[in-house]
Amino acid sequence: MQSEHGSLCDESSFNNFYATYLQAASNFAFYKSGDKASAMDIIQEAFVKVWENCAKIDPSKAKTYLFTTINNTFLNVVKHQKVVLNYEKTASYMDRTNQDPAYIMEENEFKQKLQNAIADLDDKEREVFLLSRVEGKKYREIAELLDISQKTVEKRMSLALKKLRAKIEGL
Amino acid sequence: MDKEKDILKWFNGELSDEEIKNLQASEGFDTFEKIRFYSEQFDVPKRDVAASLEDFKQNYRSKATKEKTPETKIRKLNLSMFYKVAAAVVLLATLSYFMFSNNMYTLETSVAQNKQISLPDGSEVTLNAGSKLAYNKNSWKNERNLELEGEAFFKVAKGEKFTVQMDEESVQVLGTQFNIKDRENYFDVQCFEGKVRVTFTNGETILTKGKAFRMLKGKKGYVYDIVDEKPSWMQQESSFNEVPLSEVIEELERQYDIKIKTENVNVSQLYTGTFTHTNKELALQSVAIPLRMEYKINENEVIFYHNGDK
Repeated sequence: MQSEHGSLCDESSFNNFYATYLQAASNFAFYKSGDKASAMDIIQEAFVKVWENCAKIDPSKAKTYLFTTINNTFLNVVKHQKVVLNYEKTASYMDRTNQDPAYIMEENEFKQKLQNAIADLDDKEREVFLLSRVEGKKYREIAELLDISQKTVEKRMSLALKKLRAKIEGL
Repeated sequence: MDKEKDILKWFNGELSDEEIKNLQASEGFDTFEKIRFYSEQFDVPKRDVAASLEDFKQNYRSKATKEKTPETKIRKLNLSMFYKVAAAVVLLATLSYFMFSNNMYTLETSVAQNKQISLPDGSEVTLNAGSKLAYNKNSWKNERNLELEGEAFFKVAKGEKFTVQMDEESVQVLGTQFNIKDRENYFDVQCFEGKVRVTFTNGETILTKGKAFRMLKGKKGYVYDIVDEKPSWMQQESSFNEVPLSEVIEELERQYDIKIKTENVNVSQLYTGTFTHTNKELALQSVAIPLRMEYKINENEVIFYHNGDK
């Protein structure tokens, strides 16, 4: 990748790196904290770490370093809140012409259940699930990002889906 | 289990339509389908790269740089031309009111202007119009000393003694919120949180939350009560409680960049009331009407006068 050429100690390379990964890092932190402001604080601090250690970090590993740093912050510092994500669109499932109030209510109820079920997932399952669903990342990409094996990603995803279904169907 | 694998593949976009069809009959398909559909709709905060990067440099990296060695500073000199220019523009745009003289850091507001500043210890100061604030950058670490001319609201971070020095008075606190107004003939301190010690030529007084102290030139100071949580000027208003008209006029001049003259008006009479900072006519009326004055406006000059027979 072009942005990863050159030392991170160089201002313009760093800016490039920052611009490339800001949104992804922000999303990642957000999946973990569920709080907009604290997510921002955490990623800024993580970028500071990258900057401070720019000489020591192999540019090709910088992305992993960044995400690992964010991850560690959650292990060490941040007290977990319940992560409840909000829906961006209000599009209804499939049958968009169906305006039947009972149907709409049912759908809203489903959405609510899904939010709660996601909030109740283990962090690791939730982050994999959301990286996959919200950002459309492939399991392989997620594995690379989190520095874990693809098998592990698939395991977590599978578990997440199972739990979500169980919660939603009330099994 | 094969089905489980298929579902995983499905969620990874690896299944053909045909294969999805086969899956449809399986248990839980409806639920998964809906999970798939709705989980794509979650909202994540969108970040503005330019703004975040600016914030990063201003508020995060600079902190790290300060604590770090010259190593980082040397790096800063390697800025590309673009960033030199960008930095210069940003500096000009945002810090045009910061000046360096010796090691004094000075912040000044002109008429009809408010400014906010964060001090190195995290304390925040909001300057009202026509005011000036200064502190010594070098000694700040040891002593939180500020000089003030004019009016400012202070939100002081907890820590050692915090002193605001004026010509004749000084105010000391530990960690609190308060407002100081130090104008030529008028001195006023309002305490919104914590405790404040006010020292003046002939003595000192301690204010607790909800108390304020006022001293008019040549008169004895007195303590009075306040009910607001913040000074009114921070809500784009100026409030007065039995304050000489001359003082109110000065404030009008500062907020609206106008000159006010009076004809046949007793400027030492007391005014109680509020004027807005956003509408000049309304503000002038708020002062004139209760005191039964009239006014005329000639460009930037306003004249308050009494109609003879009233």
